[in-house]
Amino acid sequence: MDAESTVERFVTVDTYQFAVTLFLISEGAFFAFLIIAYVYFHGSMTSGPNASSSLNPLKTGIYSVFLLASSFTVSAAERKLSSGRRRAFSGWLLTTILLGAIFLVGQGREYFNLYRAGVTVSRNVFGTSFFTLTGFHGLHVLLGLLALCILFALAMRGDFQTGRSNAIRAVALYWHFVDWIWVVIFFIVYVWALF
Amino acid sequence: MSDVPYMPPMPATADHAGATVEHEKAGLLGWLATVDHKRIGILYLLTSLVFFGVGGIEALLMRIQLARPNNSFLSPGEYNQIFTMHGTTMIFLVAMPALTGMANYLVPLMIGAKDVAFPRLNAFSFWLLAFGGLFLYFSFIAGGAPAAGWFSYAPLSEQPYSSTTGVDYYAIGLFVLGMGSIAAAINLIVTIAGFRAVGLTIRRLPLFVWMVLVTQVLILLALPALNASLSMLLIDRLMNGHFFVSDSGGSALLWQHFFWAFGHPEVYIVVLPAFGMISEVIPVFSRKVIYGYEFVAASTVAIAVLSFLVWAHHMFAVGLGHSIDVVFAIGSMLIAVPTGVKIFNWIATMWGGSIRFTTSMLFATGFLVMFTIGGLSGISFAAFPIDWQVTDTYYLVAHLHYVLFGGTVFAIFAGVYYWFPKISGRMLSERLGKIHFWLMLVGFNMTFMVQHFMGLIGMPRRVFTYPDLPGWAALNMTSTIGAVIMGIAVAIFLWNLIVSFVAGEPAGNNPWDAWTLEWATTSPPPEHNFDLLPPIRSRRPLWDLAHPEDPDWKHGR
Amino acid sequence: MQTDSSLLRDSVLAQPISHLFLIVGIVMAAIFLLVTVLVVYVSFRYRDRAANQFPRQEFGRTSLEILWTVGPVVILVFIFAATIRAMKESDPEFSANQQPNLVIVAHQWWWEARYMDSGVTAANEIHLPVGKRLFVRLESADVIHDWWVPQLGRKMDAVPGHPNFLWLEADSPGFYPGTCAEYCGAEHAWMRIGVIAEAEPDFEHWAQRQLEVPSKLPSGGDAAQGAELFQQLTCGNCHTIAGTSAQGKIGPDLTHIGGRLTLAAGRFQNTPTNLALWLTDPQAVKPDSHMPNFQLTDPQVRQLTAYLETLQ
Repeated sequence: MDAESTVERFVTVDTYQFAVTLFLISEGAFFAFLIIAYVYFHGSMTSGPNASSSLNPLKTGIYSVFLLASSFTVSAAERKLSSGRRRAFSGWLLTTILLGAIFLVGQGREYFNLYRAGVTVSRNVFGTSFFTLTGFHGLHVLLGLLALCILFALAMRGDFQTGRSNAIRAVALYWHFVDWIWVVIFFIVYVWALF
Repeated sequence: MSDVPYMPPMPATADHAGATVEHEKAGLLGWLATVDHKRIGILYLLTSLVFFGVGGIEALLMRIQLARPNNSFLSPGEYNQIFTMHGTTMIFLVAMPALTGMANYLVPLMIGAKDVAFPRLNAFSFWLLAFGGLFLYFSFIAGGAPAAGWFSYAPLSEQPYSSTTGVDYYAIGLFVLGMGSIAAAINLIVTIAGFRAVGLTIRRLPLFVWMVLVTQVLILLALPALNASLSMLLIDRLMNGHFFVSDSGGSALLWQHFFWAFGHPEVYIVVLPAFGMISEVIPVFSRKVIYGYEFVAASTVAIAVLSFLVWAHHMFAVGLGHSIDVVFAIGSMLIAVPTGVKIFNWIATMWGGSIRFTTSMLFATGFLVMFTIGGLSGISFAAFPIDWQVTDTYYLVAHLHYVLFGGTVFAIFAGVYYWFPKISGRMLSERLGKIHFWLMLVGFNMTFMVQHFMGLIGMPRRVFTYPDLPGWAALNMTSTIGAVIMGIAVAIFLWNLIVSFVAGEPAGNNPWDAWTLEWATTSPPPEHNFDLLPPIRSRRPLWDLAHPEDPDWKHGR
Repeated sequence: MQTDSSLLRDSVLAQPISHLFLIVGIVMAAIFLLVTVLVVYVSFRYRDRAANQFPRQEFGRTSLEILWTVGPVVILVFIFAATIRAMKESDPEFSANQQPNLVIVAHQWWWEARYMDSGVTAANEIHLPVGKRLFVRLESADVIHDWWVPQLGRKMDAVPGHPNFLWLEADSPGFYPGTCAEYCGAEHAWMRIGVIAEAEPDFEHWAQRQLEVPSKLPSGGDAAQGAELFQQLTCGNCHTIAGTSAQGKIGPDLTHIGGRLTLAAGRFQNTPTNLALWLTDPQAVKPDSHMPNFQLTDPQVRQLTAYLETLQ
């Protein structure tokens, strides 16, 4: 299904990887604006909850470690696939999914606690900018998890025999993006809250 | 009108990666299910044409209302929805789709490829446009179209000031359109990067392809800014967020910064491909190679870079402070320089040539003067104390129409008359075309030249009526009559399209004696585009074939 | 003299801008002429002729490129210098703790003006003493508006949450028309400004009269009835008439409405007929304005009109 064309081409470009990279650049630009909005409003709060009073960087940090670890596990999965170790590949893929899911559960719990403390999107500009930024990120994690699950299901069905897959490469790149943009967001939202 | 002479056989190159190369189906289903870039390009162009008619009717309604002072043809609510939809339509549903359609159709042909890199993504991009456009227009029957202007300033665009769902339709519709544009941009960049025929180096790219490439990079970086802004606006409106509402800690100015971070690159997104079409048309009809190819290409990159640095020149009257005003004034003045470089190179191309004034060339020549007028009034804005008087007046409306209509639309007309034969296999009527051109030139200038003066004597923009002050009525009536003439010109254009499609003269492969690869195949091309490609050793493969005594590659180009 | 013109009779702060426009205009005209002459010339001179089917192919000349890159830059440097000068002269710097003489608050769709020195409150028609430069703070009560009186100088946005500052100075007496210049909703077109500049003694006289409270209610007839109606019909919830219990701040201050030149922010002339039209159905006169149709009867309209016209 992924047969590369063998017809002579002038320039060899890994089209799928290039396309996903371009897509991630556009996503980076999207997040940049959400981040700018958050930064703009940070510290302009005169009343109501803000980052310092509402957030728990330690707890979120722990959940973040799970997410970052999943970046390494998805790379491991790719390496196993290209060396033909399909069962190890599936194992690492599943691990990635589980680590990502743990992160989302942690985010969900954080959101729930904030909601109970009256920190919502409509509470004040902190609420609005915080939930928008972390919410869009969480949405991207969720979509990435869905993609990973589809890949896992295909792997279970016996796909990816050739050891090289554009789909895996694409999703893995996306997953790396989602993980490492979180590092940026984590520092701006949670670490900065400490000061 | 010679056909291309015999070419030595070469394998057709540049297939796209694998998978199911479906052959196009017949009939209507074929068009709806198409993944062929040529059909998708035509779908984009037809969509653009339909919305051009709609946006034009909106404009005529506005001009009828403004023909006389204190008029009551339209209520303020109706007028405000119409002017909002007119601007939104013309930018997002006419200019961008028309240029995307041209790019879609022409880029694979011009680089000797079979199709774009991702044909199904290409189709998906088109259907996002169709859906987004219909969704936006649905607002008219769902409680009211948006009425906050095409750039939707906060807090007017927020609750409770825009209390109908109009702005929600605007935000969601544009978000969908933005996704389509980004997907198309990715597709075109990968196509141009990876699917060029053997011999087609980056330095040999036709200028249209080059400018499309730069435009896609702009889209990739600017449309996300719009989507982020629209998301934040929707969160404010639908979830009681506070991004842009100052009463609750938000910032109205933040919306402006974010919007214009998109909005300024956007105007170059709709003008660079137009420059690209002009760069193809003028050389062919002057029978001369483009003058200063490298400088035209490099100035495109300069414009693209600068376009990200000038956004706040839309905010000179907002109170940012002199230091900030000065910074943006510098960038705004500088961006005129690479544009001027292009104008001079186009004129130099015509100089010493042998110019055939086909309708396409008439529009391209008209473009040179019209766009210059718009560019010059733009410089007056960059001298920002002038902006302090004339921004948000009809002087600005005049400026934007000279660059967007006298610029982009004239260039699109030039491109349509030039490439219609390739797309349809038939020539457009030159007789009707010339009537179209001259009526349009007269009507356009009559409509918009007077608007400079309307602004200078105090008429603000976006007003549904105006008091009977000296001179206002006469100038407005003149402008309205000009708009009617433009409408007649467009009607003639539509008629030309229809009769020529049905009964126009057969075009042959290369009716214009042009030089780029799209003219090396039939009109219209077969589904796979090329059976044979000529050898590519320069920017003008067909010129080299037709002029073996003086090929471009002998000049090192 | 009702001309709205940026080109005629500029006051002292508007003149530097007109001057800049003249300079830039000459440059623009010159470049336009150059380009147009070149285009027309090549179009005629190099028309397709049978003799010249294959013109010499010219790929470019770097020296020419440098000329038409550097040339415009030089012109722009010159324009930039003129720009800076005009900026300083038309919009003089002010210190951070400069106190405003006048606070203008933009509303949908009328202008409120508060004179800080005297305490006068006015709406839509703003008097200025000739020859005095006033420092203005510009605010908005709702959406973004824009203050623009072309003959007095630059326009400036009124942004909610972001007060702006500008100078106003009229250097000769007269009527200076202006308008809101930032689309602000349904009735943006009818948010006109009238600046009346008068010699300082006349201005002081006007200010004194503005501070006068209507001393007593009209004695009889329609006007007296109207005064009562005004209080009864909750007009005071939105409007202020000094010396009465009507102290609303949502709509324009009506204490001296009788003396204004226009009604509804320039919508039409202040005449009893027009005032009656307005009171009968504001929505018919200025659709979507924030004053609802109170379904007043004809006698009520007559009486209120009579009363308001006494408030000179």
